[in-house]
Amino acid sequence: MTNLKEVVKAEEETFDIEPGMDILKVNKKLALKNRELLRKHKVKAIDVMGSIGAGKTSLIEKLVQALKKKYRIAVFKGDLTTTIDAERIGCHGVEVVAINTGRECHLDANLVARAVEKIRLEDIDLLFIENVGNLICPAEFPLGTEKRVVVVSVTEGPYMVVKHPFSFMDADVAVINKKDLAKVMKVDTKKLEMEVKEIKPDVKVVVTNALKGEGVEELVDALGL
Amino acid sequence: MTTQIVESVLAEAEKQDAKKVTEVHLTIGKLTFLGIEQVRFAYRILVEDTIMKGSKLIIKEKSGVIECPSCGYKGTLETEDNPMYHVPTPILKCPECGEAAKIVEGKECTIERIRMVK
Ligand SMILES: Nc1nc2c(ncn2[C@@H]2O[C@H](COP(=O)(O)OP(=O)(O)OP(=O)(O)O)[C@@H](O)[C@H]2O)c(=O)[nH]1
Ligand SMILES: [Mg+2]
Ligand SMILES: [Zn+2]
Repeated sequence: MTNLKEVVKAEEETFDIEPGMDILKVNKKLALKNRELLRKHKVKAIDVMGSIGAGKTSLIEKLVQALKKKYRIAVFKGDLTTTIDAERIGCHGVEVVAINTGRECHLDANLVARAVEKIRLEDIDLLFIENVGNLICPAEFPLGTEKRVVVVSVTEGPYMVVKHPFSFMDADVAVINKKDLAKVMKVDTKKLEMEVKEIKPDVKVVVTNALKGEGVEELVDALGL
Repeated sequence: MTTQIVESVLAEAEKQDAKKVTEVHLTIGKLTFLGIEQVRFAYRILVEDTIMKGSKLIIKEKSGVIECPSCGYKGTLETEDNPMYHVPTPILKCPECGEAAKIVEGKECTIERIRMVK
């Protein structure tokens, strides 16, 4: 073994480089650029992330209905391959840009920057970005939005907060959706709320039923809209 | 995520005209979602058809550090070991005053060093 190495060394040159490159920082830098651009145009952007089927699209639809008189709204919708959600939101008469992420299970700041180029920022005041349904990966990729909402639903069972604590670390607002099913699922939303607050004391927790629009007013308040 | 690591290493290697990459040193913060075993696994698969094939992956973990804007407390992040799930739960509550603290370290994923052969 040592002998072999000697031979290799004689013929070839081994050397080290120290890039010290932070893979996540590349995204963070781009996110800051997005934020500056959005700020310059006075656009409030909100990243909506959460598990698959938690109710992200339903909530955005309700938020759009509640807010479209007050703000000019656009929505970005990240999805692996389909545009189903984008079409659902498009029905409400706001501008929607579908971002297909292909293999990636999350949006990143670069994809958002490219979507921003497709809209006229002068013409909007409020931007919702629905992330890919996934409670884990998107947490690591800030997009440059002013606020981040994490949506979970009671149908994911009583342990999803303690199982995925990292998802709540960067959240400004946590939504516990499908409260109508809490009883059948034997989930105590108060307990979930306390668990989220334990991880991040300054997070605002809102309990909703996105189908009926219950809790949407509170969510609007929590988002400062 | 590991895809990005491998792509970045390959890009660096190309810049140096390297024939082969033999070692990659990473630092991963404990406050990222990245599991070391998953990164290792994905790495093995991703380097298969590249000049990184057979390279050694050395990962160093870095603990989380939080700082409290209210009282100035700074220290390593407390994790509450939850025996039920085998996952440490990060607590962003300041242990001194109970207010919300900010993360200052532990969210990085850095390529520290690459060893290659020319
Ligand atoms: N009972 C009940 N069902 C809900 C509620 N909110 C959403 N749903 C249903 O849950 C399903 C998923 O909702 P979506 O809004 O598509 O969820 P999503 O998070 O956008 O899903 P993906 O984008 O696929 O990850 C749909 O069938 C909704 O009708 C709720 O508050 N209560
Ligand atoms: Mg959706
Ligand atoms: Zn404090």
